[in-house]
Amino acid sequence: MEPVKQEEAVSQKALAADQATGVPFQDTSFRTERRKSSRTWETPPAPAPPPHLADYKPIVGDAAVDELHFLARGLKHRSVKMVNSTAVGGGVAEMLNRLVPLLNELEVTTHWDVITGGNDFFEVTKAFHNALHGADYELTRQAREVFLMYNEQNRERMQFTEDVIAIHDPQPAALILPPDKSSARWVWRCHIDLSNPHPQVWGFLRPFIERYHAAIFSSQSFARQLPIPQYLFYPCIDPLSEKNRKLEDSEVQRVCDEFGVDRSRPIITQVSRFDRLKDPVGVVQAFKMARKYVDCQLVLAGGGASDDPEGAVVLQEVRETAANDPDIIILDLPPWCAFEINALQQASTIVIQKSLREGFGLTVTEALWKGKPTIGGAVGGIPNQIIHQLTGALVHSVEGCAYQIRYLLTHPEFAAQLGRNGREHVKENFLMTTNVRRWLILLRIMLSIQ
Amino acid sequence: MTTTAPTLSSQRIPAQPFYFNTSANLLRITRYKASTLREFLEALRECPEDSIFQHAFRTLEEHHFIREGFSNDFGHWALSACNEPGLAERLASVDIREFTSVAALRDIFVRIVDEFLRKNSGIADRPAEDTFYFCASDIVVLPTTVVARTMHEFTEGLRRVSVHSIHHHFIEARLRIKLMSNDFSQWLHEDVGLTETARALNRIDIYTVTLEDVRNQIIRIVERSLA
Repeated sequence: MEPVKQEEAVSQKALAADQATGVPFQDTSFRTERRKSSRTWETPPAPAPPPHLADYKPIVGDAAVDELHFLARGLKHRSVKMVNSTAVGGGVAEMLNRLVPLLNELEVTTHWDVITGGNDFFEVTKAFHNALHGADYELTRQAREVFLMYNEQNRERMQFTEDVIAIHDPQPAALILPPDKSSARWVWRCHIDLSNPHPQVWGFLRPFIERYHAAIFSSQSFARQLPIPQYLFYPCIDPLSEKNRKLEDSEVQRVCDEFGVDRSRPIITQVSRFDRLKDPVGVVQAFKMARKYVDCQLVLAGGGASDDPEGAVVLQEVRETAANDPDIIILDLPPWCAFEINALQQASTIVIQKSLREGFGLTVTEALWKGKPTIGGAVGGIPNQIIHQLTGALVHSVEGCAYQIRYLLTHPEFAAQLGRNGREHVKENFLMTTNVRRWLILLRIMLSIQ
Repeated sequence: MTTTAPTLSSQRIPAQPFYFNTSANLLRITRYKASTLREFLEALRECPEDSIFQHAFRTLEEHHFIREGFSNDFGHWALSACNEPGLAERLASVDIREFTSVAALRDIFVRIVDEFLRKNSGIADRPAEDTFYFCASDIVVLPTTVVARTMHEFTEGLRRVSVHSIHHHFIEARLRIKLMSNDFSQWLHEDVGLTETARALNRIDIYTVTLEDVRNQIIRIVERSLA
């Protein structure tokens, strides 16, 4: 089989390069090994125009959209400013790109401002980000000064005349004005895992956070002991986005043909970066255990191998574990392949997210939304989404994952029920319309509107 | 409840219209959490009533699509994080329809856990697999555009409104009206005179079906009474 030979050749080249330079070999030629038609994803596609509320009615129902209009009634002519650190790229910007137009459509005047800063600022905030996730860090006086200086510059540049100011993540956290200089209600929306923050960095940020009127976290476990109300906003997906819209069967088939995925046999898929914390090697091992008893293929679709040295090493480990197995399809895709990822998820019989550590795990949300029986590691936000044996299956080991693959493939009715429940769970709790609803309720609470 | 003289039910004109409302809630994370059953018992005693309401009442709405195996968050945690099926069964068997106050509901949960730990004191401090975080609901009650002035409009309204509205009127209502009943039954009894239909609605088992199933059963019972 030609693809296997190509994989072998690339593997040998990679090993040779590793030995010669110490730098992981980055060869993307394997991407083409299974492609049977022209490439569709060399450059990012143009962004689609944002949807309107009415577009969500066929998905969530008229009543759910009507509820948003009722919730917004008391908020008309009130204003909100969202502030974050980037206009493009990353989950927060992606979410704000949808949330802000929808709030404006509901006549809640919503502005979105992005803070500016030099490389020195973003180096400090990147280090803060990692430290708040628990990484080692030495907080220097210089880092504190850089952080405060750029926050001060942005505070002077921006106007804060809105009724509610929502500050996203730690980078702009120090923008908050003292009560005698602002009548607005200030909300801090924390999108990152604060369950085990670096004490020095959190100790530095905490006095700013305590001055807010409320904080929002993505998981109960991320909340801190604070003297202000703390609310729970789960992350969400947009059912109308390219990654989550319902595809035509011909579109799914086209992508499967492109990557050599056989839809006549069960397809097991994990979508994630080639990162040890996503345990792609464990997924390959579980797949091989399960396949002794059930016929299936494995698709590992991810990215990060071409721009991240660590990712390239992990990809190499995955390929070595796969050992040229023709039923294991490894795809290193660029970040703008939302359509291809969507098609692969929709083609799947089972979706896996066997993470060893996880934030919320939006790939799980995506799989559940597509009605797929989903197996997830019991870490981070995954148990919020997968209720074991009700909306999916939680696992703690390679062996557990292998067993669940076998069980779900041999009990298709049970698997289908998990898929149905999982989709309803997402519809109720993790869609963009639910996010809009949460913001509207929060604004009413902040502005004391009954 | 008193009975009314038999008439053609479908021709009854309700004395008052039924205004369908709904509610939306926001989850607030409280400072109470538990990593052992002893901590769980302490938190159950001290947490705000909103938390008991959230984990016993609202959770049914959040998981309205599940037909079996889910009753309330306390029972679920006792099984999934503490691996205590006996305790989980007892907690899960608490039927919120038997309570018209959250204080009374809290008392029963406290009593179950307290009794369990008295008999099994050795496991009170065993770490649970996951921490239980006590949350609370901040609720906004909202009107809908659906109003029933006739019985036909009532059944059509039942079909049109969201499951949140069904939960609001059929499940949460008992805390509001402080009766072992619900808004639909109250209206059918007081404003329509369909007392037996009102009673029949109260016999729907909300723990073994989804909220969509509850909606369909309500519609079936009401339509049967109008036939």
